[in-house]
Parts: sequence; C-alpha cells; structure tokens
Amino acid sequence: MNPVWGITLKGMEALRVEVEAEITGGLFAISIVGLPDTAVRESKERVRAALRSLGLSVRGRVAVNLAPADLPKEGAILDLPIALGIAGAMGSIPEVPRAIFLGELALDGRLRGVRGAVGAAILARDTGIPLFVPADNADEVSLVEGCEAWGAESLGDVIAFLRGEKKLIPVVPAVPEAKPPIADPDFADIRGQSGAKRALEIAAAGHHNILFTGAPGSGKTLLARALRGILPPLSRDEFLEAALVRSTLGIPFDRGMHPPFRTVHHTASIVSICGGGATLRPGEVSLAHRGVLFLDEFPEFRRDLLEALRQPLEDGRITVSRASGSVVYPCRVLLVAACNPCPCGWDGDPVERCTCSATERERYRRKISGPILDRIDLHLAVPRLLPEELVAVESEGGEPSAAIAARVRKAREIQRERWAGTGFTCNAELPERLVKRSLSLSPDVRPFLASMAERLRLSGRGISRVLKVSRTIADLAGSRDVEVPHVAEALAYRDGGEKR
Amino acid sequence: MTAEHLERGRRGEEIAAAYLAGLGWTILDRNVVFRGGELDLVALSGGELVVVEVRTRSEGWMQRGEESVGPRKLGRLVRAGRRYVETRGWTGPWRIDILAVTLHPGRDASVERFEDVTAGAYLT
Repeated sequence: MNPVWGITLKGMEALRVEVEAEITGGLFAISIVGLPDTAVRESKERVRAALRSLGLSVRGRVAVNLAPADLPKEGAILDLPIALGIAGAMGSIPEVPRAIFLGELALDGRLRGVRGAVGAAILARDTGIPLFVPADNADEVSLVEGCEAWGAESLGDVIAFLRGEKKLIPVVPAVPEAKPPIADPDFADIRGQSGAKRALEIAAAGHHNILFTGAPGSGKTLLARALRGILPPLSRDEFLEAALVRSTLGIPFDRGMHPPFRTVHHTASIVSICGGGATLRPGEVSLAHRGVLFLDEFPEFRRDLLEALRQPLEDGRITVSRASGSVVYPCRVLLVAACNPCPCGWDGDPVERCTCSATERERYRRKISGPILDRIDLHLAVPRLLPEELVAVESEGGEPSAAIAARVRKAREIQRERWAGTGFTCNAELPERLVKRSLSLSPDVRPFLASMAERLRLSGRGISRVLKVSRTIADLAGSRDVEVPHVAEALAYRDGGEKR
Repeated sequence: MTAEHLERGRRGEEIAAAYLAGLGWTILDRNVVFRGGELDLVALSGGELVVVEVRTRSEGWMQRGEESVGPRKLGRLVRAGRRYVETRGWTGPWRIDILAVTLHPGRDASVERFEDVTAGAYLT
C-alpha cells in the first residue's frame, strides 16, 4: 500500500507529510504517532465517524504513522489523508495515486475547508503533484496557476473518485475579480487639507510610508481612511501573496479583495502585530502585506513594538523566531501613522493654548525614535480647520476619490512596467543599492540634492528615500526623468510641514 | 430469592444465544470463566470475534440492563476478553457487545443489542 500524502504548515509553507496506516487484530483502538498536536490526535474520532457514515466500519487496532517523524504536525488538515490511509489498510479502496490530499472531516463525512490550502497549492505546483482539496477551498486554490487540483464535497466523493465511480470537479485557474475600491469617506467630502490629500496620492502611488501630525479633530483618521479609496488594485501576484497570508490564518477567501487595510489599536501586543505564538502565526503587519497598516495615536504604542517594526518596514519581510523554529512572513506595508503634536494636542494651534510643559512635550516626541522617523517618507502636519471654515456653506469639495485613484493607478502601472522582471512592483520597494542607478535622474538633480542633503543633514537612507518619493512624484506627473521640482516636493515632505 | 435471579440469568442467556444464532452468528463458547472475569457468550460475526455480555431484567426494573454495565465491569470484560483471544490464538479483530434481555410475563422477551461498547474509549 502506498503512503497517502498530506501536508502540515510551517509558517506559510506547506510541507509534505506521509500518512501510513496499519491494522492488526485486537480490540478497536487508533493510535497516531509522528508528533501530532491535539487537533491531529482528535482526528481519530472524526475519521472513524466519517468512515462509518460510508458504511466502512473500522475494526481492530489501527496504527497511523505520520512521517517525517521529527516534524510536528498540526491541525485538522490531515483528517482526509488519515481516513484514506485507514480505508486503504482495510482494503476498501484501490491503491491511492500520487497526490496530496487535504481536508477536515465532519462526522457525516463532509469535507470542511482548511487553512493553508494556498500553501498546499503552491507545493503541488512546484512538485507537479496533483492536489485534492475541500470544495470550500477550491476558490483560493484556483489562484495558483499551473496546479492540478480537484475539489471534493465529502470523503465519499473522494473514495468514489478513487474507485473510478464518480468524477470530481477540476479546479479551473481563475483571475481575481477586483471590485472598484470603496471610497468611504470620499476625498471630495473632506474639506481643505489639500496638502494631506496630495501626500496621500503620492503614498498610494509609490507605497510610501506617511505620518500625520495634527491637533485632535483635525481629520487625521478621516484622511487615513480615505486612503482606502485610492489604492491601486492588487496585481495577480500581489493578490496571491496576500491570499497566502490570509489562508495561513484561515481567514475566509474573498475573490474581490482590495489591498488590505489593517487598523491596529495601540494596546496591541508585539506578537499580535509582528507574529509569533507557539505555532508561529503571522501578525497584523503581515496581514497588511501589499496594503496599509494604520497606527493611530502612534506615540501611544509601546516603544519596543515600534522598534520591532524597524527592520520589517525596511526589508518587507519579518522573521519570527521562537524556540520551536523560525519562519519568514512578508510584510510589504504602507505604514500610515497619526499622532498629536503634544500630549494635550494643541501645540502650534492658532487658537487653543497648549498646556503641556516642555518636559512633557519632549518626552512625547522622544517616544518615536529617530530610526523610525527616518523610515517614514512623508511627514505631514494636518492643520485644524477653524470653526468658520467648517460651517462655511459652499464646500470647496475638491476632486473625488475616483479621479485620484485613476492617476494613482496610472502611476503604479508605469512603475510595474519599469520594474518588470526585477521582482519589484513599486518605487518604495526598490532596494538601496539600485536606487541611484536606475531612477533616471535629470543631470541637475545631483548637485541640488547634494546641497540640500547637507543643509537638512539627511542620512544615506534619507537620501535614497527622498529619491524614491521623487520618482513617484515624477511618475504621477508622467515625467520620464526625475526633475528638480519633483525632488524639491519630496524634500518638503521629508522635512515635515512642521519641524519636529 | 435464593437462586431465582440465577435462574433468570440462565434464561436470559438462552434467549440471547437463540437471538444471536438467529442473526447468523456462530456461538463459540458460553460461560467462559477466568480468574477475575467471566464471559457470558463468545460468538463469531462476519470475521470478527464478539464477546457478548448478557444482562437480563424483568419488566418494570428502574435500571435498564445495559445501564448496569459500568466502567469497572467493562475493564473486567476487556481483561477477560484479552485472555480469551490469547488462549484461543485468535489474531483478528474482536469487540465487546452488550445484549439487554427484558423478560415480560406471559409473552416473549425483548432483546436489544449494543455494539462495540468500548469503541476505543476505555483503551487506546
């Protein structure tokens, strides 16, 4: 009898597991060896009931071995291969073909969707082995091109297929259907704030990090939310990457998924944001991969948490290491941070008076370290609109989100074309070593930047970040080269509307 | 009372044996006694050896026959069953069934069978 193949997850990666079963005489008992976790060990109850629902009653002592022996196996995902292994050992089904099976069994033999199906599909594609998945997972598996897969409703379907009595539905590769983004709120509904709107347009176009500083009620949160409406749709590869993270956590698949937008409260723990736990799950920063991570009240976050985000923000991936092992998750996020200028919030306000002492203000500012600020490309002061301006009848309105989204989309397409073949999709992603060589700067940019860098005391990273933002501004303008005005605008955001 | 309950038990076993034979089972042994446990009936059903514990009750008892087999009795049945398959050299699968026989005055007894009562729950 061939072993039946299943998978277990290590991070997002699916690893092949061989399931062998042997039945000997004796009183009925199932024992599972090969480092099963509780969910795997409990599968014997589900497997037995599911087999009984098909009229196959398991008798005698059943030994199930999961190989490799030293790899911990987790989750109910191995129910289906265990059931097939036992059915094979009973002689109830013909030789099981070389294929990977996954699925959780219900007591009546139905197959339930599992987490990790996308990872399994990638493994199946890379090894050229066919894959059998629960019908619930067929949609996400269809994202992986070149993977031969079938969807099944129940254990009975799979067994009938193996006996040649029934056909299964092959999973047809499909392209995700991006719905138009929801503009809630729409940029046209936000009064004033033209500077912030422009900065958001640049951030969305090039995937650059952004920090809003402003008094309470100035509209920081509103602006951040409006960003959702102008983000460019995910490319097929980006969609697959985001779906892979979600599948690892078992979040239901959404064919019309927008770029993720994750809002995190400042009481969140490091593990919930960076990932971890005994099973090394991905955190919020990875769920926001290819989308937005929004941290409101930025200085209220724990200092060690903000510091922990430094490297991942730079690299676009995060390594989660624990005693049980170490896994890498992607986290190419657009960080949107918002903070008040001081603890009371009124520092620099034209009307209200700040009541904070100098020490308080200093302590508040010091909570966000220089290295973190250095990784934020767009610093922006959001001025509060005065009451007269807010109640003014005629709304100056401004452009609707849809118009801005169209420009952003065009700029992103230019970037995708430029970086095609390099593995990058947007300007922010470009590694430092490539920045100066491949941005096509106009000749007078270098001397200008050199003098400004000295005056603003920019770090090496600061300069390359300014150049990336300049490139995005040039792309939005449809310019082939990066010109001095583009760099000047980028430098203005670097410096911050307000000197920190 | 004296031997009345023993007599009732024997009648129950007769009814049980007839019932199982009616199902097409082969009765291999009756009242096998080991130290620490007794097997009422041992039968063969579809390639599987079945140890049958017979519980006989008269109509009107508060506790049903199958309910009177507790974990201690089950443990004893498992141990005795193991000894039985070892001494007889049986290598195939085996299981334990309970047969609840209820005697009704003036008409036929009713029989209810409970299959594979351990089902891995008491031993893994």
